[in-house]
Amino acid sequence: MKRLSHLSPNECVLLTAARLLDGRIVWRGRDGQWFDHVAQAACLTAEESEAALEEASTQAARQGVMGVYPVVARKGEPPQPVSMKEHIRAFGPTVHPEFSYVPQSEASS
Amino acid sequence: MKQPVGHYAYESRDREFLQERIAEFEDQVKRRLSGALSEEEFKPLRLMNGIYLQVHAYMLRVAIPYGILDSRQLRKLAHVARRYDRGYGHFTTRQNIQFNWISLEDAPAILRDLAEADMHAIQTSGNCIRNITSDEYAGAARDELMDPRVHAEILRQWSTLHPEFTFLPRKFKIAISGSPEDRVAARFHDIGLLARPSENGPLFRVFVGGGLGRTPVVGQELFDSVPEAELLATLEATLRVYNAYGRRDNLYRARIKILVQTIGIEPFREAVKAELAKMDLSHYRLTPERVAAIRARFAAPELHAVDDADAVLAQHQKEDPAFARWMQSNTHPHFDEGYSIATVSLKTPGDIPGDVTAEQMDGLADIAERFAFSELRVTHLQNIVLGHVRKDQLYALWQGLKELNLAAPNIGLAGDIVSCPGLDYCTLANARSLPLARKLGARFGDARLQEEIGALSINISGCINACGHHHAGHIGILGVDKRGSEFYQILLGGQAGDRASIGAILGPALSEDDAVAAIARMIDHYLAHRNEQESFLEMVTRLGKAPFKEVAYETV
Amino acid sequence: MKLFNLSQQHIIPAEEADPVSLAELKEHPEAAYAVALEPDESAEALRPFLAQITLVVLHFPIFRDGRAFTQARSLREYEDYKGEIRVTGHVLPDQAAFLRRCGVDTVVLPDDDDQTEWEAQLKRFTITYQQSIAS
Ligand code: SF4
Repeated sequence: MKRLSHLSPNECVLLTAARLLDGRIVWRGRDGQWFDHVAQAACLTAEESEAALEEASTQAARQGVMGVYPVVARKGEPPQPVSMKEHIRAFGPTVHPEFSYVPQSEASS
Repeated sequence: MKQPVGHYAYESRDREFLQERIAEFEDQVKRRLSGALSEEEFKPLRLMNGIYLQVHAYMLRVAIPYGILDSRQLRKLAHVARRYDRGYGHFTTRQNIQFNWISLEDAPAILRDLAEADMHAIQTSGNCIRNITSDEYAGAARDELMDPRVHAEILRQWSTLHPEFTFLPRKFKIAISGSPEDRVAARFHDIGLLARPSENGPLFRVFVGGGLGRTPVVGQELFDSVPEAELLATLEATLRVYNAYGRRDNLYRARIKILVQTIGIEPFREAVKAELAKMDLSHYRLTPERVAAIRARFAAPELHAVDDADAVLAQHQKEDPAFARWMQSNTHPHFDEGYSIATVSLKTPGDIPGDVTAEQMDGLADIAERFAFSELRVTHLQNIVLGHVRKDQLYALWQGLKELNLAAPNIGLAGDIVSCPGLDYCTLANARSLPLARKLGARFGDARLQEEIGALSINISGCINACGHHHAGHIGILGVDKRGSEFYQILLGGQAGDRASIGAILGPALSEDDAVAAIARMIDHYLAHRNEQESFLEMVTRLGKAPFKEVAYETV
Repeated sequence: MKLFNLSQQHIIPAEEADPVSLAELKEHPEAAYAVALEPDESAEALRPFLAQITLVVLHFPIFRDGRAFTQARSLREYEDYKGEIRVTGHVLPDQAAFLRRCGVDTVVLPDDDDQTEWEAQLKRFTITYQQSIAS
């Protein structure tokens, strides 16, 4: 994972996790709720993300999510996770476009 | 109900056991959802029921013991794909099927549906004895010495919720074959068994400590001739040594191969013998009566060859060259002259290796029912074999497969690519493997080109766990991560079977497109410079990797 | 702490047991009747002392570490040990039947532990596929 302390100005940090019930990928929004789509994820600075990660981890069990961790993304609508792994988590498997999480036009914007 | 051909027919106690197991799992899921079990505690429990947490959702891996399914079971898998997943399943290199989009809440219901067709997901994961794999041509191949599936079933039962071996240092894989050809890669398993008949009943050659993964090792012979009566005792003793002495402090050093390597095969054998000496062997004896009782629950196919089958087949081949080509690559000699073994390729060019839609599953179930005694075999190369097809019916079978888009004539050829799910679906991956498999499949998709290239195995893994068996491919591809980007290492010269060897790394890792181009150049080089009749692997053996390396990297 | 009885054998009450280590046992075998084996110690090492031992305590550093299953089964099968086998450490109720079938009699649980899960697990399976030392 890219070091959070080395973010470039057009990058931010997203928090992600998996939902306990169905294992689906979720992204943490500004208000601390979890959403299915990366477009609703809060784009945090490195400092913000530290506190948010701590808070999210303590609330995780109560909110029905597990394995909270930070992801570096390029800012945008929606934000674009930098690593291929997180890109696939955000937008869906590259070999099954029919299962994509965000319409292709948006995903490639 | 009629007994199934090729696998064990459940009796009421087996069904009761499955119900008990499902009730247990349902309770575990409840405790997890209530918070009584932490994820750390739940994980090994769900894994022992085949449930992983993967990239996009939970994944369910259903066991297909020794690779054998009947039509009824395949239809049940189609039902699971439709009802609980997204209309497809993925056959793996371990003769299992995986569903990628499962919800934990649904899991007990799925297991109940599977149990209706005598299927389960027990021990398809976790640090226990995994699903026993076997030879896809078992009970049908001309070269076979004995059908290993009765013993595979005995091992399945023996290993099911074994009280002592359910929390081993690491997973434990056993494969069994009855062919001198070793079609199960016995030397690449924790234990590999090669069965053969003798005057005094079956004998088993036992290999131990093989495996791919991070540290690929070719297994070594532990015993040459274990009599049937002592088969279970010998396995018990081996596992006891492993459970007591296998490493538990380092995940990557915990497989039995490391233990065998560390102490040496000779001291390991002595330790197993010492264990056997302490055991009351009569207590562990596998009796002929027990074997006969299990065998009685397998139905044998009633073969009725027709007289002019060969002539009919020859006529079909003459009339339809596409069929003739498929016959050439996708069939294998049956012990009965009037029959053939047919392999259904799950590698349609441009599709994902091993993926099958619910419609295709239903279609295959119908075809197996019509032409092959309702018996299907899932192979470790991610294809499906129909064991007993009357030669005069092969043409109709092939036409049925064509309608399902499952008639690719590429078994054992360049298009028959083995690939793990890679980064698109697997949390452990470093790189994607499916897009590469698709590109290569399309690149060599042309049937005539594949025929010209001849025998070639391409294996792709998305990380060093090697689920795509990349070390065992004539050409192996390993996905690596280089500073956040996907790269691919090419290996050359691996093979499974009785001359098992591990592929050698060719050179620095390449990008996806460069890897495809490099492989294409290597194959061109082979076509231009091969001796007559020489296969790709034979040329690699003759010349070494240097000339291939040169062409692979010529533009880089 | 409290004990959960898996085997319904007569057991030694929790407060009475005062197990010594294998090293201590070797040094001062005189009065010892209870011994605690570490996961990497073999059951065979107890052989000279088993006549006087009535309690062997095995340890699970974590529930995934299954060495105690082999130790317990070895004590019963190879050493013909008839006394109590007890396990401590991190164990799950889901392991109840495995423990009993390998010859374990008792499990040490925290005082506030709910035993209903253990009771339920013990009764869950009526069918097993292997012979075992205690079925
Ligand atoms: S080889 Fe690696 S990436 Fe591929 S399925 Fe196995 S663990 Fe996942």
